[in-house]
Amino acid sequence: MTKFFQVYWTFAANQIKSNFVYKGRFYLFIIRKFLGMFIYYYLWMAIYASSPSGQLGGFTRSEMILYVFLSYTIADIVMIGISSEIGKDVLDGSVAMNLVKPINYRLYLTSKALGVMIYRIIVPSVFIWAGLEIYKVTALGMAVSSPSQIGLALISILLSFFIYVFFDYCFGMLAFVTTYIFGMTIIKNAALNLLTGRLIPISFFPAVVQEIFSFLPFTAMTYVPVMIWMGKYSGTEALLQLGKQAIWVVLLYLLGSLLWKKIEKRLVILGG
Amino acid sequence: MSENVIELSNVRKEFVTTKHDPGWRGAVKGLFTREKVTKVAVDDVSLAIQKGEIVGYIGSNGAGKSTTIKMMSGILTPTSGTCMVNGLEPYRNRKKNAKNIGVVFGQRTQLWWDLPLSETYTVLKEIYDVSDEDYKERMNFFEDVLGLQEFIHSTVRTLSLGQRMRADLAAALLHNPKVLFLDEPTIGLDVVVKDKIRQAIREINGKYDTTVLLTTHDLNDIEQLCRRIIIIDAGKKIYDSTLNQLKKDHGYRCSILFEWKELPDSEKLERLRNLSEKAVFEGQERGGKVTFNKNELSVAEVIAGVMRILEVKDIQIKETELTDIVKNIYQNRAEA
Repeated sequence: MTKFFQVYWTFAANQIKSNFVYKGRFYLFIIRKFLGMFIYYYLWMAIYASSPSGQLGGFTRSEMILYVFLSYTIADIVMIGISSEIGKDVLDGSVAMNLVKPINYRLYLTSKALGVMIYRIIVPSVFIWAGLEIYKVTALGMAVSSPSQIGLALISILLSFFIYVFFDYCFGMLAFVTTYIFGMTIIKNAALNLLTGRLIPISFFPAVVQEIFSFLPFTAMTYVPVMIWMGKYSGTEALLQLGKQAIWVVLLYLLGSLLWKKIEKRLVILGG
Repeated sequence: MSENVIELSNVRKEFVTTKHDPGWRGAVKGLFTREKVTKVAVDDVSLAIQKGEIVGYIGSNGAGKSTTIKMMSGILTPTSGTCMVNGLEPYRNRKKNAKNIGVVFGQRTQLWWDLPLSETYTVLKEIYDVSDEDYKERMNFFEDVLGLQEFIHSTVRTLSLGQRMRADLAAALLHNPKVLFLDEPTIGLDVVVKDKIRQAIREINGKYDTTVLLTTHDLNDIEQLCRRIIIIDAGKKIYDSTLNQLKKDHGYRCSILFEWKELPDSEKLERLRNLSEKAVFEGQERGGKVTFNKNELSVAEVIAGVMRILEVKDIQIKETELTDIVKNIYQNRAEA
């Protein structure tokens, strides 16, 4: 068992190292993150400024600030796409190189994604979180998040990571069928921005839509950990949501296994 | 009789592709409806390879070589027939089979692109659970034979093709596989690097009795490494025997080039032309060429015959080269 972790950990470790290789990419990456977050922040601030009531969709202005930064950073570390790598592997045939090794392709990709997640936690999410907690207490006059709140949120983030990776693995299986998935990836990302609540908090949607969303895995990707972190879910509600996330992890894992079994039989390796 | 490491019986692999009509009409039509075409890549191939053999697996482009190797390495599932490697069906036991085999696809790499080469080996060491001792011993061996130490700390993407290929071969051998599949391991390499690669294959085979199946378009690889060759064409096995047998079967054409001491007159030329019914004479500027079948005439007979007619300054004997033999086999297939 330790052997198992050792093997897959080396993939994660090498992925982290790879991420540090390109200096330009490293800095541009950070700048891009900040740009994205602040655009999003000013947009919401403008909306609140022109709204007569101080509360929208159950969020006060201060809460919305937290939501913006938390959802942005959490989505960033949780939604690590592996389908693009599957797509690339299929398109140029390099999937063959991964299949001739005594490793599980999905676990290999998951480990690499874990490496990316660890990298993104360090660069720069953890600093943003720290800054956010300080800002929250000093500027917004709110209470600091309790350790149990943050602890539960971190568990939820890890579950979200697995939900997204296993979901994206299923999506990536499409590459074996259609060869080229770039276009579908764009559609997927656009849909996810809406469905996960990253663009607009789920509580802004009509009740019926919220009801439907609760049966889909998407809210479990970023919305749940953010809500837990913000203390919007009370104790039992938070645990219930964690349970729901765990169920999605299992379901998507099984779906992925099923799809792979179907695809393995009709696999085609491109490019000689 | 030693054990068969690889055994294929009546293996067939079909691919379903879609047909695209040419031109604009075809492009638009392709958006709505596509005709499915079944292509047979490997057709009823049976073969057996014993432990410790180095077998050359050759065929023209698109003959089905790589497809066969992919089935043996467990990536592709045959449409029908069975394929056994080390007593396992590779596609049913992909991970288990993978521990026993090493694969080099000449056109792809298994190295970590963005990291120093040494990192790839540490990953592979973990994957295949190679002990520290074995790891050290094998790395020393690779350094000697393949000259890895020159670039072991360079980032993989900065390696030249020759370096990358040497590194890839080492990567495939790190876990000392029982069977080594090499799919065009010398593609695009210079003579020196080719030599290193061949030497490494030979030494590994000698040291560990590793079974090697090699596809290549460079027949020097075959001549220097393999005792046996299998030729496949349009998915069908068309030849399977030792290299010597192949030369005996097909390499019977021989030509001898003569250089005259003095130019022959027309009478002597006429006599040369009538040297034998079984030989063809072609006059050249300062000499002549006699082509004949070695099964019908001996080299000595031909030389003696020519020298009875006129004095000779220089003689060159040209046996049919493997390249010509293989070219002939491919072409005959195409015409048949």
